[in-house]
Amino acid sequence: MNTDDFEKQLEHQPMRQIPAAWRREILDAAGSIHNPQLSTVSSQRTSWWRELLWPCPQAWAGLAAVWLLILGLNAATREPARVAKTAHASPPREVLMALREQRRLFVELVEPFPPAEQVKTFIPRPRSEISHRTVTV
Amino acid sequence: MSSPHFLARLYNDHAQALFAFLLNFTRSEADTKDLLQELFVKLARQPAMLNGVRDERAFLIRLAHNLAIDAMRRRATRDKNCELFAVETFAMFASSADADEQSFRQELAKALGGLPAEQRAVVHLKLWEGLTFEAIAEALDIPPNTAASRYRYGLDKLRERLRPLYDEIK
Repeated sequence: MNTDDFEKQLEHQPMRQIPAAWRREILDAAGSIHNPQLSTVSSQRTSWWRELLWPCPQAWAGLAAVWLLILGLNAATREPARVAKTAHASPPREVLMALREQRRLFVELVEPFPPAEQVKTFIPRPRSEISHRTVTV
Repeated sequence: MSSPHFLARLYNDHAQALFAFLLNFTRSEADTKDLLQELFVKLARQPAMLNGVRDERAFLIRLAHNLAIDAMRRRATRDKNCELFAVETFAMFASSADADEQSFRQELAKALGGLPAEQRAVVHLKLWEGLTFEAIAEALDIPPNTAASRYRYGLDKLRERLRPLYDEIK
């Protein structure tokens, strides 16, 4: 028997049709799993935002405006401070002179005292010498 | 893309092919229904699975094949089932008014049941889905040469078994 003919013969055998009732069952099963999940997730997200914002949306808007104002002021005041800092990057000469003078005075106040004399440490003599003197007197 | 329409469109386009493939692979109508439902539930949960897929049919067949293999492994009775399916007579092909044709179809269904499941899958995809060996290899996650050799082995077995009937109806 020719292989090609045999293959063609097999190919021409029609498969059974899928039962029509399966369509509804399968799609319903898939849909019932899909839709509630999506709807619950989206509704949970929506309800969470609503609970957060809904009680007083004007207050939230006002708070946001205040924060924007604070951030704006912060940004506006930061730049001059930097400029001022860079302008006084090196201290003036008078200040340096005053600092040197203060340091010199401090050194003078500390150094006038002479170095402390070494305290003569008492070294006890041996007991035998003491007893000898007593005998001679 | 609304999901119910998306699922309905997938069902219209591919359910018949998936049904035939799963029925031939599992040799059980109940298992076929369960697996088909599992597949559509999976698609409903993860519709993005099909994003960027070039050949939906091949992708879905691969998905169905994987689900069938998983189900068989879960039950751990794959070999036993295959033996049972081999002797089971069930309607896999459309019935025919012609007695010889009907007899041939019944014998063909039995002969297919005598093939190992993986050979049966390749034979089915080649003969009744018209896929190339490359597409079959991609769908079943096997090398193309393996797909070709499985097909040859499977076809030889079918030819051997169906020779008398085939000669009669030819």
